[in-house]
Amino acid sequence: MSQLDVVGKSFPQLAAQEKATGETKFVTDLVLPRMLYGKVLRSPYAHARIHSIDTSRAAALPGVKAVVTYKDTPKIKFGPRSEDWTIFADSKTRFHGDEVAAVAAVDEDTAEEALELIRVDYEELPHVISPLKAMEPGAPLVHDDKPGNIGAEFKIEAGNVDQALDTSYVVYEDQFYTNQVYQAYMESMAVLADVNLSGRITIWTGTQIPNMMRMTYAKALGMSPDNIRIVVPEYGGGFGGKMENNIHLVAAVLAQKSGRPVKLVNTRHDDFVSGNPRVPMHFDIKLGATRDGILTAKDVRVVGGAGARLVYSQVIVSTACYRVDSLYRFKNVRAKGYTVYTNTVPTSCYRGFGNSQSTFVLESAMDELAGMLKIDPAELRIKNGIGPNETSVHGWKIASSGLKECVTKASKAANWKQKKQDKIPYKGIGLSCCNHVSGNRPFAREFDGGSGIVRIGRDGRVMVYHGESDMGQGQNTTYAQIVAECLGVPMDMVNVAQVDTDISPFGLGSFATRGTLMGGNGVLAAAKEAYNQMAEVAAELLKAPAETIQCRKGVFFIKESPENRISFREVASQATIKHHGAPIVGTGFYRPPTELPDPVTKKGNVSPAYPFGCQIAEVEVDPDTGQVSVTNFVAAHDVGRAINPTATEGQIQGGIAQGLGWTLMEDMAYKEGKMINSGFVDYIVPSCFDVPNIKSIIVEPIEPNGPYGAKGIGEPALNPTMSAITNAIYDATGVRVKNLPVNPQELLAAMKKQADKKE
Amino acid sequence: MNRVPMHFVVNGEDCHLEVKPNRILLDVLREDLELTGTKEGCGLGKCGACTVLLDNRPVHACLIFALQADGCEITTIEGIGEKKMHPVQESFVEKGAIQCGFCTPGMINTAKALLDENPNPDREEIKLAIAGNLCRCTGYNKIVDAIHSCACESLKERG
Repeated sequence: MSQLDVVGKSFPQLAAQEKATGETKFVTDLVLPRMLYGKVLRSPYAHARIHSIDTSRAAALPGVKAVVTYKDTPKIKFGPRSEDWTIFADSKTRFHGDEVAAVAAVDEDTAEEALELIRVDYEELPHVISPLKAMEPGAPLVHDDKPGNIGAEFKIEAGNVDQALDTSYVVYEDQFYTNQVYQAYMESMAVLADVNLSGRITIWTGTQIPNMMRMTYAKALGMSPDNIRIVVPEYGGGFGGKMENNIHLVAAVLAQKSGRPVKLVNTRHDDFVSGNPRVPMHFDIKLGATRDGILTAKDVRVVGGAGARLVYSQVIVSTACYRVDSLYRFKNVRAKGYTVYTNTVPTSCYRGFGNSQSTFVLESAMDELAGMLKIDPAELRIKNGIGPNETSVHGWKIASSGLKECVTKASKAANWKQKKQDKIPYKGIGLSCCNHVSGNRPFAREFDGGSGIVRIGRDGRVMVYHGESDMGQGQNTTYAQIVAECLGVPMDMVNVAQVDTDISPFGLGSFATRGTLMGGNGVLAAAKEAYNQMAEVAAELLKAPAETIQCRKGVFFIKESPENRISFREVASQATIKHHGAPIVGTGFYRPPTELPDPVTKKGNVSPAYPFGCQIAEVEVDPDTGQVSVTNFVAAHDVGRAINPTATEGQIQGGIAQGLGWTLMEDMAYKEGKMINSGFVDYIVPSCFDVPNIKSIIVEPIEPNGPYGAKGIGEPALNPTMSAITNAIYDATGVRVKNLPVNPQELLAAMKKQADKKE
Repeated sequence: MNRVPMHFVVNGEDCHLEVKPNRILLDVLREDLELTGTKEGCGLGKCGACTVLLDNRPVHACLIFALQADGCEITTIEGIGEKKMHPVQESFVEKGAIQCGFCTPGMINTAKALLDENPNPDREEIKLAIAGNLCRCTGYNKIVDAIHSCACESLKERG
């Protein structure tokens, strides 16, 4: 590849100055004339029959413009991947936080007062919170038509697992649990909805999937998707949590009924009890190896708690069943997954999408195997790690893999060998690897690629349109860099348009670590098309064949005689005049070389590229309290090529901080069916004192399918963090953490038990 | 509830308002004065997104009644670097300390107050200052870097 002018350089985020000065208008900052404020009445019970709802007193309160319940909605069952949602609870509520009614009023105080005037006659029903208990015979049914509370089942098998386990030299077998945790993006979910005279709805909201969400909402509202427009302003983080959610539809219904714009902002409590946190999972795992440490087989059973409706949990459980199998050279694997309804808030996507749960389990088991075989854990990974140009057990074609380089570089930077040998009481070091995808072929079955539009106006300014989502990770900046590089213009000539389903291409959105590769290739294709149109005009002006000219740093020139030049701006101006005002518009798309998995064997190639990583954590355990502090962190990640190294490091550091919170601090706790820590007072997320210095190492094997060689980083940044920390705790104490989060009392008790055993 | 007259100086401008006694400073800034740069993250004083400077000291605008600011000087993010960005803002931009940016106004206010009081804080002092400001995107490393490098720059400038 020739020299790069823009890609690979750490430009600040396009929106950074506006964000630093408070200029940015986030969703919660938006205001429209005559706007009303919406509030939602939520179920105080985990499970309750609704006998009646009396909204008359609320409706009569001065300032109240609309009160809505189930009967005001189209009563259509819908859902992104299921048909078990309604906009409001129908005959019963199924979780603490379930939507029961909503009001729109002239101000927030009036809306809150109105909620208090709504009378609901509930009859509390028995509830079930644990997915294992929910599967037992006789458990309360969350949905009457779902026997055994089974929302979905998944099965995958390759090779001969039983035989391979029987003939293994060692088999590690255990049970693990990963808990329900909250994304805790700093801006709660918020929406502004407006309905025009013809009934067309505009929804402004922070969403990772504007286009797919529009399809789901069209069904829910009984409307054509054409009559819904979704606009995505800047928003304060997502991490998987900002996808379909009933509050968008509640705002739409309130706007329909009141005929006025309605803004609905979740209080932090509402966001905890009605967002879509991580799917909690129970795992049974068997992992075998030969005497030399070659992995022989993996067998797992996964039970995931869906909460009261399916969002994407069934896809997340299936991901937990098999994605991690392509980290190593497995030949024999088997998994069975159950997605089980419970009376908790519906669970869904959170950075890692099931692969983070299963990575915690597999990488804990790998640590155990290393101990059983007396092999260095880093060596065990290198021995089994999948390399470039290999095909995994499920048919995934790994083009580039920097896995082994990640292990080597992270080990060196962390002084792994030495520190692993040093046995300092209550101090430990742990290592964990991960793999992931850059887009996931089976997620949206129709297609999985990306697309873009690049518009060049008369002044030469470049506007990029995409249908993915910048939730704060800097996706827009990445796209601007890719387009600037392709066109040969400086960054300050490129801007990225707000996603608006009326204008933007139909992007699938930001999930599955797909934004940079899929969306990046999409806007790159569009930029190439726009470049060709520009080059044609430039060639005419320079009186040279188009293939003999080039544009760099905003200037077209003849390659053989660079003194013959014309600015990009001048070419754009001449092109617009020539075309009677029409701008240069390039559109393009990227069709990835993926294969939809076979419905039975699940063999296929789900992604055009697979990122890898290796993280090493150092911990100290307080022998008196069992408190764990993470004292140092090294993370090496194969990202193909970092389009923006600072942004890539930011993803790595942010992912580790979230993984650290999950491992040591965060847990959505329930008592008698109610979430009891629905706020930052009792649900503690890491502060700057909890997060150690993180050394990020960027490994760049240059991915042939990536835009300028790039793959994704969002999710792999977190996948290995939990087991890196718990493996370090094992090194420090000899105690294997099997349940997240680490409970200091339990850790202390286990340490004491171990000490007693030794004596 | 009767409205009560109040007067305070916000970003150098005199503001005469009549507010209900139960209104918090955050809402008055965001709604009445349309200074939406100040954010609400939790409403309970636990996340720091609403941090503003009250007589140059960082406070949670969600925990203060507007009337408590009567007679005081308030600086919001809009009042910092109005014409030219403050060095700490520039540093946040340059060092990649901003991702989603929702914590940024509060974080910058806290950082500015620290640097005004102690132009040369070390990393521990910086952490102590921003310990009450949550960020979910960055893992804090680059935020501490940004404040630290800004402190180093100011040292250099002063020779």
